[in-house]
Amino acid sequence: MKPEILPPLGATVHVKPAGWRRGIRLWLPLFLVWLLVLPLLILLLPFLLVGALVMGINLWRSLKAINGVLAATRGTHVEVDNRDTKFFIRLH
Amino acid sequence: MNENRRQILDMLANGKITADEAERLLAALERSPSQTGEAVKYLRVLVDANDALDGPTKVNVRVPMQLLRAGVRLTGIIPATARDQVNDALRKEGIPFDINNITPQNLEEMIEHLRDLSVDVDNEHAKVRVFCE
Repeated sequence: MKPEILPPLGATVHVKPAGWRRGIRLWLPLFLVWLLVLPLLILLLPFLLVGALVMGINLWRSLKAINGVLAATRGTHVEVDNRDTKFFIRLH
Repeated sequence: MNENRRQILDMLANGKITADEAERLLAALERSPSQTGEAVKYLRVLVDANDALDGPTKVNVRVPMQLLRAGVRLTGIIPATARDQVNDALRKEGIPFDINNITPQNLEEMIEHLRDLSVDVDNEHAKVRVFCE
């Protein structure tokens, strides 16, 4: 699988509230979330299929497009620094 | 095969566009900077505010341009009836925009124009800069 079609596999989060000597630095393994979501998606597949047929939506294209949106979030970087807190998140 | 190229060929196969339109779209794709490796990759938003109440605040956001492409691709899965409802709702809000007009060519043209986008707001409380890189 090409890396650009994979959803973000991890996220780096730094939070440092005001007054704290050290902030919290986390690396979140998002791939575990996808591993949990995948079986759920398989269980929901019949319902999604019926829903898609009723609404006239191409289920495969929809899932591909949703995955595309998730994959496109890789590289997102948000950094906020103010008097009360410092916050940073990056999706890998 | 390139995703955009495949999408154009799919649209041609489904009869959504004519052969001439497909040719123009493919030509536009070949001209697009993504082929030369100079594509716009990120939208950046930098805010440097100094509010009397909240104190100084700095915001630095980098959003991949691919997200815009993927988001627009999502409009392709909206059923025709829902598209009409969206168009009606937009019209009611005073936005005369037809979401059926969002095509790969229009999107790439828009992204190409974003390359030159630079918004600078500078007042006594905040400096805001929006640009693409």
